[in-house]
This record gives sequence, structure tokens and C-alpha cells, in this order.
Amino acid sequence: MVRKDAVHLDHVTRTYRRDDFEVRALDDVTLHISEHSFVAIMGPSGSGKTTMLNLITGIDHPTSGSVSVGDEEITGKNENDLADWRARHIGLVFQFYNLIPVLTAFENVELPLLLTDLGKAERKTHVEAALEAVGLVERMKHYPRQLSGGQEQRVAIARAIAADPTIVVADEPTGDLDARSAEDILTLLAELNQRFKKTIVMVTHDSRAERFVDTIFRMDKGIFVRAENSLVGGRQ
Amino acid sequence: MKFAGFVLKNLFRSKRRTILTVLSIAVSLFIFSALVSLPTLANHVLADSASSVRIACRTKMGQAYPLPEAYKPKIASTPHVVAVTPDNFFGGIYHEVSDQFPNIAVDPENVDVMWPDWGFSVGGVEEFKKLRTACLVAEGTMKRFHLNVGQQIQLRGAGYYPVNVSLTIVGTIARGPAPSFLVFRRDYLEEIQGRPGRVDNFWVRADNSKAVPQIIETLNSRFANSSAETQCDSEAVFLGSVIGRFRTFFTLARILGLIVVITIGLVAANAAAMSIRERRNEIAVMRSIGFRSPLILRLLIAESVVTALAGCILGCGAAFALLKVFSVTSDVLGPFVGAIQIPPAVLLETLLAAILIGLLSSYVPARSAVRRKIVDTLRMVD
Repeated sequence: MVRKDAVHLDHVTRTYRRDDFEVRALDDVTLHISEHSFVAIMGPSGSGKTTMLNLITGIDHPTSGSVSVGDEEITGKNENDLADWRARHIGLVFQFYNLIPVLTAFENVELPLLLTDLGKAERKTHVEAALEAVGLVERMKHYPRQLSGGQEQRVAIARAIAADPTIVVADEPTGDLDARSAEDILTLLAELNQRFKKTIVMVTHDSRAERFVDTIFRMDKGIFVRAENSLVGGRQ
Repeated sequence: MKFAGFVLKNLFRSKRRTILTVLSIAVSLFIFSALVSLPTLANHVLADSASSVRIACRTKMGQAYPLPEAYKPKIASTPHVVAVTPDNFFGGIYHEVSDQFPNIAVDPENVDVMWPDWGFSVGGVEEFKKLRTACLVAEGTMKRFHLNVGQQIQLRGAGYYPVNVSLTIVGTIARGPAPSFLVFRRDYLEEIQGRPGRVDNFWVRADNSKAVPQIIETLNSRFANSSAETQCDSEAVFLGSVIGRFRTFFTLARILGLIVVITIGLVAANAAAMSIRERRNEIAVMRSIGFRSPLILRLLIAESVVTALAGCILGCGAAFALLKVFSVTSDVLGPFVGAIQIPPAVLLETLLAAILIGLLSSYVPARSAVRRKIVDTLRMVD
């Protein structure tokens, strides 16, 4: 069975101006990511992988080319439409968790649900399900400062999946974690991909990720080098 | 409403800063509401006298010069005049100089006709008319000095009246021109002075308010070119001329109140800017998970407005309480201070000032934060 594209980048170029210099972060990149897949975008620093992630999530705009997520082309959307679109389709996980410190784990996970039409009881159900999925139901009343780095990242993942987005996008989700926590997070993301059929796009330097993902996109100097099926050990 | 909890949680992110900001706004709005309320004294007094049928006659030469007592029957015979009451501002001292309150000598026979709106206690006026040393005392004065009806008091004269008067309290006044004052009989004052026959003012009551201009005209004409020409005015004009001396002070008070509010508005703006600057990253995160910039802007402004409103409630509450204290101890600060209240219009002005402080102090930094590129804020460039 042929799977549809979850993400499609078509001849995307992104350039920045830094003082008098033009930096070509992405250079004519074309890429397809299938739905329900778990992919890693890997490459050295400055290779353009985070820029690609920013374009996929609509928080940055390509200089040329087009970006489609699901059936929607997002390139021409304005900021407010993009915000609405992200609320429905994108779950974001950051390297440094970026939880709101004054909110409990429950409230952090509830945050994207406040943008929906769900009532309080329905939001509670969704939040508990998301925290259940990441194994932190018993910590729902804890504030971020009361959680370990790994737990914070789990809450961030729960926040990313709470509104049932089309794709989950993770930017170096293990970058700030020790080896064991990193392994746990990668395992969790793989589980979410398999159990809930979530498309997960992850930027990472972490070579351990190769064991968990379906496909690795290698990038270098703003150019998409190659796509590899995961070779090292396959899915765990 | 579903964001109310979020706004409140953010308000208590830095408790100390929020409390200090609320307090600074409270102090500024307290000063603002108290100062802006000062002119209400004038408005209060003038509003009360606006429909009055009373006329005040004094000499054209000014308050320091008396009128002859002999004018009384001439004024009384003027058409439409129903009562004439001469008065002398005695200005006596009760115990200490700091215990001073206005005390006025008046002719007793028409006191209830002249001032039926003063709320004399039952039987007080009758006693006042019978007893030569009687006095009627405002309830504020009674309360302050723990006086009782039937009690004897002594006032030490000074200035134009270097005589002491021994008075018997025969009744009280509930709604006089000031919360604290006293009236006693002018015939008694005349007697102990050796009957000089001097009067500071003549209060004249007309039979209807339409006749007031005509009476004024008649009286001023009658005493024109005499040794003591009169300056008769309606009660509103007379009180307005007295209060008018304070107009500049009232204007300065308003300006000062405004300066204080603007200053604290800038302090609040600085606090809001600091708070928002610290949260730029969170704001970018919220935008990246789907919050629209206008919604975040509204949430940030709501925090600031809630802070300002909390300051408003505290500040207005303190001003209200203080003016209540003033009304109780008004003799210390002057007889009219007790008449100052925070009127609804000033409450509304203070509320608007609070909302403006909240809006303006947060709008610029909040707008700047929500307009920043998410990528730049999160430093998500690799």
C-alpha cells in the first residue's frame, strides 16, 4: 500500500542575511516524508536541519519553493492562519522542553487544548490520556521545577500530542538529556509512532536515534544529501 | 474565561514584583483620587446652595469691614423678604488653638426660618430663642469634644472680639454648612461688647427663588452711596466667591494627581516590560504551538490591567477610608475637610486611569514581543 505524504518540500531554498553576507541555509531541497513514519534529520551543525524543521512547522518561510503538510500547502498562509494550522496539525517538542514554569504538568499539556472548542471535562480527558501515554499521570500536579529533565521532556511530548496533531516535530529532543533519559525519550517517540501512528519528524545529532527511526535524512551545508533506511539494528 | 487561570498564574510568577507594582499603582491612584476629590468640596457646597432662596449681604469694602445693625429693619421691609438674620464671625477658641472651629453669632428669632435645612434637634431652636447664652452645636463638634446637650462651654475671643463667651448647649445641628461649627446668640455677644452694633453679614431669605435677583438689586441700590455700601449676592455666588480662593489650589491638586499617575504609569510600564522581556521565549513557544499573536497580546495586557485594577481597588479603598477618617476628625484639618468625599465621577476617573495604566504600560512591550519572529526568539537556526 502506498502511503500518502505527510510532508512535502518542493525545491525549497531558504537564505538569510547576516550583515553583508547571504547565508544559504537550505538550497533547493526536495523531500517527501510519508505519513505514519518516524524520520530523523541528521547532519552537522549549520547543515540546515533545524531550518527545515522551522519551515515544516510554518514558523519560518522559504525564500523560494513550497512546503506542504498533509494535503495543505502552507507556504502562502499568513501568520494567524499558520498559528491556527499549527494548533490543529503540529505538535512541537523542543530541545530545552520549553514548558511554562508557572503551570503544572497538567496545565502545560492543557495549553494547546485551550485553543480548541473542547470543554473543561473533555480537556481533562485528553490531558490525562496524553500524560498516561508518556507515563507521567502521577506527576500531573508537579511544576516543571519539580521534574527531572527527562520527565520535563515527557511532559513536553504529552503537550505535543495532546491535541492529536497530524505530525509531531521534535528539535533535538535528547540534546539536553543524559544517556538513559535520551534512550527513554527515543523509545517513547517510537512507541507513539507505532501505537498512535503519529508521523514524527525529529532533528537530532544523537546517533542512537538511528536505531529507532524508519528513515534518516542526511543533510550537509543546506543540501539534502541522502535518505537512508534505518540500518543499525532496525526498530526496537 | 478559560484563560483566566493562565493570566492569574502569570501574575504570581514574580510575587514580589507584582505586589510592588500593585502597591505603587495603589499609592498613585490613592493620591490621584484624593487630590481630584478636593474640588468636590466646592461642588458639594455650591450644589447645595444652587436652588437657595438665601442672600448674603456684606460690605462692598470686604469682609474686614462691618455693616451697621440698623440695616436690619430696612432689609426686612424689602418686598419678598421673609427673614433677616445678621451674623458675626466670632472665631473663638475652645480650650486650645488647635481646637478651633467656626463659631458664629446670629440673631435667634428667625434662625429656623433662615436655615430650615440644617436639621436642628427637636426643641433646640425653642431653647435657643429662650436662653440668652444658648448655643447650637454641629454633631461633628459634639462628637469630637464629647459634648452633651445641657453642657456649658466657654469660647475665648480673639481678634475683633477680645471677649470670652460662656455658652450652654441647647441643641444640635445635623446638616449645617460644615461638619463642625457652632452658633450662639448675637444679642449676647453685643451685650458683653457694650453694644457696638456691628454686623459682619446679613443673611436674607426671599419668599421665592425668582425674587432673589430683584431683592439683591433693591438692597444694593438702597444702600448705594451710604457709608457702608452693600454687596449682596445669592448664597451660591457668595459661597462660590469664598471657595473661589481655593480654585488655584484645586487645579494644582488635579495637575499633581495627573503627574503622579503618569509617573507611576511609567514605573508600571517598566515592570511590564521587564516581565514580558523575561518571557519572550515562552511567548514564542506559545505562538509555535498555535496561539495567535493577538490572543497573546490580549493575555499580556489582561495581566497588566488586572494588576492596575488591583492597585485601583487598594488605592481608592485607602482614599475612601482616609476621607472617612477626615470626616470624623475634620476639626483638626479644617471645618470643610469633612465635606470632601470621593464622588462616583472620581471613582470612574480613577478606574479609567487604572485601565489606561494597564493598557499603555503593557501594550508596547507586549506588541513588540508578539511581533518578533518566533525563529529569532527561540534561536532555532542551525
